[in-house]
This record gives sequence, structure tokens and C-alpha cells, in this order.
Amino acid sequence: MIQNRLLFHQSSVTLEIIGLPDFSNNEYQDQISIISQWKLTIIDKPLIEGKLEHLGPIMDAFYIYSNLLINNETPIYESKLIDIKADNLYIHNIVLKSSKPDVKPLIIKIGNSLLSDTINCFDQLNESSKVRIKKSSFINNIPKKIRFGLTKFKILNFFLPPIISICSLILFSSTFIYFYNPINDKEKNELINTK
Amino acid sequence: MNDVLPNKITIWKLRNNNPLRKSYMNNNIKLEEFDALIKITVEMSRYLYPYMREILQSKEDPEQNSVIWNDFNQRFIELINERFNLHSVRVKKLLNLTVNDEILIKSLLTLSLCISNQGYQKLKNFLFNY
Repeated sequence: MIQNRLLFHQSSVTLEIIGLPDFSNNEYQDQISIISQWKLTIIDKPLIEGKLEHLGPIMDAFYIYSNLLINNETPIYESKLIDIKADNLYIHNIVLKSSKPDVKPLIIKIGNSLLSDTINCFDQLNESSKVRIKKSSFINNIPKKIRFGLTKFKILNFFLPPIISICSLILFSSTFIYFYNPINDKEKNELINTK
Repeated sequence: MNDVLPNKITIWKLRNNNPLRKSYMNNNIKLEEFDALIKITVEMSRYLYPYMREILQSKEDPEQNSVIWNDFNQRFIELINERFNLHSVRVKKLLNLTVNDEILIKSLLTLSLCISNQGYQKLKNFLFNY
């Protein structure tokens, strides 16, 4: 059976996904959900390829690293499969470790332009309707601050109407309030006593 | 988008919510206006990606003549001088050539990472985390 091949390009980077559709799941002929191989080609750099189980962790590593880089945190990502460190503000050092013994790790240095190309290729793969892949959990993660911001809006909307109604009730009823005046009361009592 | 930003004047007014600008006016930007501005930024980033990439690349190799970077930096400083409040400490930091490299690179990188269809959500997340 001929395998499907899908390419995702972004400037100097190409991500190639090779695999088959899952016909038991009523998929079209041009879809891929059983990935047999993937290749990440960066111009002037060694080819990166691997099995399906390596693709997810590598994508996650790039997403986490880029988030750390942008959020002014220490840009270091280390795992069994891949390490990414910043050499300086412009160059990033990627170390890909092979699962096979006696295979030296592959070291690649990429700049910010290639880093953004690579992540944009992964974004295209994540958004593609033709490839069924477990989506990276790091893309749509709404940070705590946003979650707090959204709930704050909801809480405000929930509590604001009753608070306004209570305030208006107090303001309105305050015009009819009866203040107790002890001097008046004394005078009244004196009048009663004289009678 | 047409309801939130019916014309260019609305966008111009929203720009003035930036406290770093000379013509700063606190109009209390609404959530939907904030969202609309993010959508415009993502669309612009998508359109300008090749240029942003070129600027980032020109800074990567120190041996290479970084004419593109110098042109970009010069234009950035010109615009800041023209439109921003120069008495602000944060604006002074933007104009400081020894410090502004990092700010510019991170800003360009952030925009270049938000050109996908989910770029709107990504940029929003980055901004809230900033």
C-alpha cells in the first residue's frame, strides 16, 4: 500500500509526515493518522528524523522552550530525548539524543529565524485537518493570569447587579429614616408630667 | 470586527490608550477592543513575517554585515522619538541602544511565533504572561 506524504513548509524549514489513513475510522484516502515516519529538514543543518513517539516530545520541547524565551524566564529545556539551551540572545543550541546505544548526540545550532520557522511548521501540523495527531497541550494552555482575568469578569457580572440594587435601596430608604432625638423626647415627657 | 472597529479613527483612538505615547488618553479599553487589536496584530504579523524573519536573521551572524538590523533599529528609534513620551523611564529604556536589542528581538520573535491560525490565542497568552 502506498503511504501518504504531507509537507509543511515555512521559509527554510520543512516538516514531512509519512503515514497511512485509518480506514476503520472512516478516514479519507489523503489523510494520515498512522504516522510511520517524520522528517524535519532545516536548510544547511543535518536532517532530523524519527519515530512517531519522538515527534510529540520534540514538538513540546520547542513550544516550552519558546515560551520560556519569550516570558523572560531561563531558556533551558532538558529531557531524555532533547536539550535546548540558549547560547546567547540570537543562537539556540539543540542536542538530540538517540535512543540507540553508542550513537553520539546530534548538536544543531539555530538562530531565532530558524526557531520561529520550526515552530510555525509544528503549528501547521497541529492545525492540519489531514493529519490526526495528539495535539500538544502547550499551545492552547491559557495561563493562570488569563484564567483569573476571565473569572474576575464573571464574578463582577454576577455580583454587580445585587450590589447596585442594595445600594440604591439604602439610598432610597435613607430619605425616610427617623432619627431619634433625646431632647425632643425629654420635652414631651415633661409636658405629660405637668398634666 | 466591523462593530468594534468601524473605521481607522477608532483604531487611532485606541492607540492612544498606550501610556507610553505622547498623546496618551485613558479611555479604558474594552475587552472586545483589546481582542480586535490582537487580531489586527496577528494579521499584520502574518503579512510581515518574511520581513521580520529577515531582520531576526541579520542579527544572528555577527560577522555578517547587519545592515537590515541597523536600518530597522534606526527607524524604530526615530518613531519612538517622534511619538512617545521621552520623559518616561520605560521609553528611555527603549531608546537605550545597549538594552533595546533584547526588547526588539523578543518582540519580533513573539510576533513571528503568532502567524498560525491559532496565533490570536498564542499572542493573547504571551501578552497576559508578560
